[in-house]
Amino acid sequence: MTHIFEPSTLEERRRYYRDEWDINDLPDFIRKDLSKREFGFDHLGRGPNDRYRVFKTPDMLKRFMRYRSPFAAYCSVAFYNKPRKRGEWLKSELVFDVDAKDVPVRSCGCDSVCEICLDEARQIVAGLIDTLKQDLGLKNIHVIYSGRGYHIRILDESAMGLDSEGRSQVLKYVAGAEPPKNKYFMEDESGQKPYELEHFSIPLGYPAVFTKRIKYAILHMNGTEKMEEVNPKLMKDVLKYREMVQKDEWGLFKNKIGPIRYRNLVEGISKLNMGLVDAKVSIDLKRILRMPTSLHSKVSMRCMEVKNIETFDPLKEAVPKFVNERKGY
Amino acid sequence: MGNFLSIVQLIEIMVLISYLNPFSSEGEEIVREKGSIEGIFEVNPELLQLVRDSKSQNISDDSYIPKNYADLALKRVEWYLRRKNDKKYNHNDYAFLINPKIAKFDVISIYTMAQAIGIKFNPKSREGRLLVESQGKLVEDRLEKLVPIERKEVVNNLLNQMITQDNIKWTSMSQLLGSKKINLTDMILDQGDVVLEKEDFLIRFEDKIEGRLPEKMYDLLIGEKIKEMIISRMIMQKTENYIHKVHEMAPKIEAHPTLLEIGEQISEKIKELSYFPGSGGSGGFGGDIKATQLQHEAFPPCIQKTIEGVGSGNRNDAIVLLLTSFLSYARLYPSVFRNEGTSKISDIDPDLQITINEIIPLIFEAANNCNPPLFDDDPQEKLNVIAKLGFGVNKDPELKHEGESKWYTPMSCDKIKIHLSSLCKPDATCKKIGNPLSYYNRKRWELRNSGDKTPSKSSESDSDTD
Repeated sequence: MTHIFEPSTLEERRRYYRDEWDINDLPDFIRKDLSKREFGFDHLGRGPNDRYRVFKTPDMLKRFMRYRSPFAAYCSVAFYNKPRKRGEWLKSELVFDVDAKDVPVRSCGCDSVCEICLDEARQIVAGLIDTLKQDLGLKNIHVIYSGRGYHIRILDESAMGLDSEGRSQVLKYVAGAEPPKNKYFMEDESGQKPYELEHFSIPLGYPAVFTKRIKYAILHMNGTEKMEEVNPKLMKDVLKYREMVQKDEWGLFKNKIGPIRYRNLVEGISKLNMGLVDAKVSIDLKRILRMPTSLHSKVSMRCMEVKNIETFDPLKEAVPKFVNERKGY
Repeated sequence: MGNFLSIVQLIEIMVLISYLNPFSSEGEEIVREKGSIEGIFEVNPELLQLVRDSKSQNISDDSYIPKNYADLALKRVEWYLRRKNDKKYNHNDYAFLINPKIAKFDVISIYTMAQAIGIKFNPKSREGRLLVESQGKLVEDRLEKLVPIERKEVVNNLLNQMITQDNIKWTSMSQLLGSKKINLTDMILDQGDVVLEKEDFLIRFEDKIEGRLPEKMYDLLIGEKIKEMIISRMIMQKTENYIHKVHEMAPKIEAHPTLLEIGEQISEKIKELSYFPGSGGSGGFGGDIKATQLQHEAFPPCIQKTIEGVGSGNRNDAIVLLLTSFLSYARLYPSVFRNEGTSKISDIDPDLQITINEIIPLIFEAANNCNPPLFDDDPQEKLNVIAKLGFGVNKDPELKHEGESKWYTPMSCDKIKIHLSSLCKPDATCKKIGNPLSYYNRKRWELRNSGDKTPSKSSESDSDTD
């Protein structure tokens, strides 16, 4: 297994694009309107500095990939009338990038990427998709395994015109990056004290999303997470009583923690949740993202569309043949 | 229910609609009928009488009573600023604004204001923002004063007029989300719909709710308040869109001198009323803020941390995007977000001496403090710093290159939280502001008022860099 995440050589890249890669595997959502996207390439492993490329047909892209065997290939989330100049922007996919190595709560504690954190990233993605469908009603959602994590790429026309701020609001909603309010007022009761209602007592809307995200975080913490609002004593107590959260005994858990410290915990985790997804990617309307079917040469993994996120196993499905044929594997 | 509205009540509802939403078809009808610009400054006896007859209206002095449409427009500005900033604000001085009978005058006055502002100022200017915010606040106040049955009826009418689909999709509110007038997390969403009606709520969620009455849950989470919030924000957006439309058309038509004059008067009124001693409101540290020596002790925590040095990963954005814009504006043009007008460094620093001798050395020093030093790895970022000051991609700032790029304003706190979250360690002052530059202005005002005469570190900074 140790050979899996090692970088690929130029020879391996050539073999990949010559023997394994097939332009017909390119997902339909990329092939359709291919000529309206910007493509970018990294040839030397120093970042995508070959930008503003346009391919009028899949065949032209195929020839380029076979001939150049790039270190990395990217295409824009944006569609343009003049993609070569990134001119006349039309719309952009709504995108969420979950990188396993950047997930803020990881039970493995590894310093890069391992099977455990890749699987945790997969679980997070499944949760995000659930909210994107159930709450936000979005359709045409595609999941791409990027090599070290996942991209959720949404081509629902109703969301593709959103500006950066709109996207940032969607991000906060799905990631649970804002503590929901816990005081509510009844109509026609002006002057009355507000009703205290914690997120876990509300089984719908954003509070319910938040409950799912905070539950995930609490259950996956390993105690080394840094949150300004959470001191070591509070962290210790959270780990001590988190079994109650597992059983959805939130009231008991809050009692054990104490109301003020509970609020601190909620504040702290909501900030951590902001890191579940790379926010810069989501709010950037002109971002280029790793092209599905291309090779992630830093880790020798295939970037590919995931048909079923519940059952997807990157170590079975995204490992190129040349990795299995490496000496000593 | 059981209470049916009479014909008279229905007519009253129609009046209320234009009173609350001047951009409704009822409002547009009023403008078509009475919207002549000619009589804007003429004394209007009907308006005078109406104001005097308004319940609880203070009439002890003539100055409380708007005499014509232009006066009414200025009273709206005055009302909003006093309400926001003046501790001595008395609602009875402006009770006429909450009198539905004022609708036809009010509609004309808001169109006049929006046109005057759209012609004379940028839609995002403080004049534009004030009109939009004040309209939203006025809708809230006006709704609050209606009797419950009327209130419910008019809210449903307004919503039906503004939203044509059966179910409101959150994506149809993209403009409100984009301008941050509405938070997605404040609404109850299901399958892409914004749930507003009780029946709809119960059908969707009744089975999920345990240990609490579903009806009560609806009243707590949604009720009329979410509907009213959406209405007020939509009307704000319509006001903003109208100003934009006028602004776009302005260069193609000759502006009426009356509108230019009203625009000028609105601007003067804002300057006059932006500062009330001891108000502590967000406008309370107002007045014109001029270019002065930098006061390091008034820098927000994110800027302090950037100056101390940032680790790899965040260095480029922190130095090039955040610090460059912050220091240049803090030193030269701290009131940029309040004022309409200049956006070139040379307008304030004509020979660029302050920029070259004070601002750039501080930015480069902070870049050196980064770990590893930013320019060691990325020497081209020096060019980006110059570009963000408005001098194009060049080695040094030179007047001949000015305008080749934009002089970037500091990013908002919201953006910092996303792009540079590790630098965002908010203190108490941060809770009151939305941009590091606003923090700086506020903090300087607080320091001045607290009598802190600590000399600015800027005078010492030369020796620090030696």
